[in-house]
Amino acid sequence: MSGSQSSLRGANRALVVETVKRYGGLTQVELTAATGLSPATVSSIVKELLAAGVVDTRSTTRSGRRAQLVTIAHRTGLAAGVDVGPRHLRVALADVTREIVAEQSLPLPAEHRADTTLDRAALLVVDLLERVGSTLDDLVGLGVGLPAPVEPGTGAVTVRGVLRGWDDVPVVHVLAKRLAKPVLVDNEANLGALAEARFGAARGYQDAVYVSVGAGTGAGIVLSGRLHRGFGGTAGEIGHVQVDPQGRICRCGSRGCLDTVVGYPALVEPLAVSHGALTLRDVVQRAADGDPGCRQVVADAGAVIGGVVAGMAMVVNPQCVVVGGELAATGDVLLQPMREAIARRVPLNQVASLDVVTAELGVRASVLGALAMVLEATDQAAVGGGPAATTDVADLSDVGTGGGG
Amino acid sequence: MSRFDAPVGADFTGEHVRDGGQVVGTVAVGRRTPVLSVRQVSKRFGPVEALVGVDLVVHPHEVVALVGDNGAGKSTLAKVVSGVVQPDGGLVELDGEPVTLASPSDAHRAGIATVFQDYALCENLDVTANLFLGRELREHTLMRDGEMERVARGILRDLTSRIPSVRTPIGHLSAGQRQTVAIARTLIGSPRLVVLDEPTAALSVAHTAEVLTHIERLRELGLGVILISHNLNDVRAVSDRIEVLRHGRNNGSFDTRHVSQEELLAAITGATQVAPVRPPLGAVG
Repeated sequence: MSGSQSSLRGANRALVVETVKRYGGLTQVELTAATGLSPATVSSIVKELLAAGVVDTRSTTRSGRRAQLVTIAHRTGLAAGVDVGPRHLRVALADVTREIVAEQSLPLPAEHRADTTLDRAALLVVDLLERVGSTLDDLVGLGVGLPAPVEPGTGAVTVRGVLRGWDDVPVVHVLAKRLAKPVLVDNEANLGALAEARFGAARGYQDAVYVSVGAGTGAGIVLSGRLHRGFGGTAGEIGHVQVDPQGRICRCGSRGCLDTVVGYPALVEPLAVSHGALTLRDVVQRAADGDPGCRQVVADAGAVIGGVVAGMAMVVNPQCVVVGGELAATGDVLLQPMREAIARRVPLNQVASLDVVTAELGVRASVLGALAMVLEATDQAAVGGGPAATTDVADLSDVGTGGGG
Repeated sequence: MSRFDAPVGADFTGEHVRDGGQVVGTVAVGRRTPVLSVRQVSKRFGPVEALVGVDLVVHPHEVVALVGDNGAGKSTLAKVVSGVVQPDGGLVELDGEPVTLASPSDAHRAGIATVFQDYALCENLDVTANLFLGRELREHTLMRDGEMERVARGILRDLTSRIPSVRTPIGHLSAGQRQTVAIARTLIGSPRLVVLDEPTAALSVAHTAEVLTHIERLRELGLGVILISHNLNDVRAVSDRIEVLRHGRNNGSFDTRHVSQEELLAAITGATQVAPVRPPLGAVG
């Protein structure tokens, strides 16, 4: 009997932790309502979790009354990750243990502009800090992912025209000025690769390629456990590999880039006559639901992308290819044609067949990568200053300890 | 359902499948029957011409944004659609059938749900009570509280909302959460068209993000949505089509994917006078 009692207690404790995580910060009264547990149970579980260092409580007010706000305990500050996509902004906060404490995404207009978007990103970070009962003082740094190759020092886009309205914008400077915190910027596919290598499908592989398929296609390359950015940050820009010498002129200026063949407009246009105006989300959802036309479009894209990835795999020789981004939610509709295109390349498959797998982190890969980038940088800095701070995250910070000090 | 009463150019080969007022699925191929079609609607308030021959078409699974300056007629048009204001002339069709929306309850019965700027929620009642206000589920005379809470939870989950409990009084919620409740309220009784009047005005970025995500969800649920907003960023983020009103007249209809901020501003301010893009709907057929 006591066994089932204690397992019930354990389940209730897990429910409380899960609920606090979901809403960021809740008062005990709200926690009672959200979990359906009795006030006494919630109160005693919160006390236990507080003693164990799992949650924090602080005084707050709810409609004029004093209340106890319960949040997930975070150690020595929070990092913010920002993923700027072609049609969305995703912001997440995590503590040094990589625990996500708050997350929010915001739909963006097509061709959104740097000034408005960066302004909203900064405000969203502050709003989320408020949601978990923290302030800017708790923020250790900000990681940003952009859908274009970037110059690491300034965060400016290195290839003109590929991200309209963002040329010559020093993203690091713009955000550091607003938030007065260290800001790191990288390409979103690179960050996706970092996240999948640390916590996702490429975990445990030394050499891996991450391919992000969405409004555009990009790739991140992990070699010997480290992200390979290339000299100008354009490593893995497979969206601009030529696949159609007679094709359309791409916004980068070249002809027939992969993005002109499988990018947003190229994916929805063939469906306009039969299906009406669809968004990329619609295509993904309908392909997953079995709509033949949408499946056809996604599968054809998979075959073309697979050909480019095969060439890339020949150069890099990875152990696995991880496929993420919005279109990866269609699963084998996209992946099977990619696998077939890659399998046709004989040398790739002679030693051992190359695994092509779906990303584990889904559309959150880039924002998680942005968080990992910030936290690894602060770990390095901490190692330079005093080694004590890194003990509980040593398993994740395999980027070496030489660079930061 | 008189599906052959469809408007001009309705070379549709598909039809919206309905079952007891609930959208079961869309098998539309090509052009579909609009869920709402407003044709040549006019409304005067004394010397003020609030609406002059205005057209508006909304399809299922489509977000249509109404933009324009103050006094351009956006809210009046929303009020015509939601039965608050009766037009002096013109035609309102739902699913291809002409209707008269003599009152808000008429509109609600026809499947049109509206969220006005002031939300119209009761501070002292909890989330569930507000969702079902005036439309409580009853068995004989007893209210079915458990059932209403279950439905409320389901709707909030559908919207991926961040409201911890359906028993929280509205007075305890933030502005963003109130807007969420107001939007959730539209989903009671299986609507087909949702009208949102300035849903992101005066909200923080985080709350705006939640509301815009809800609008994306309404669209994914297959509803037609009319979104009135001053914020072109928000409008361009979630709409499929943008209709500009100026001095009570249509001044341009734009495919959101292809329109720039500058073109929209030009149409709103009158820098460009846009001739009706589509032929007057009443003229043919």
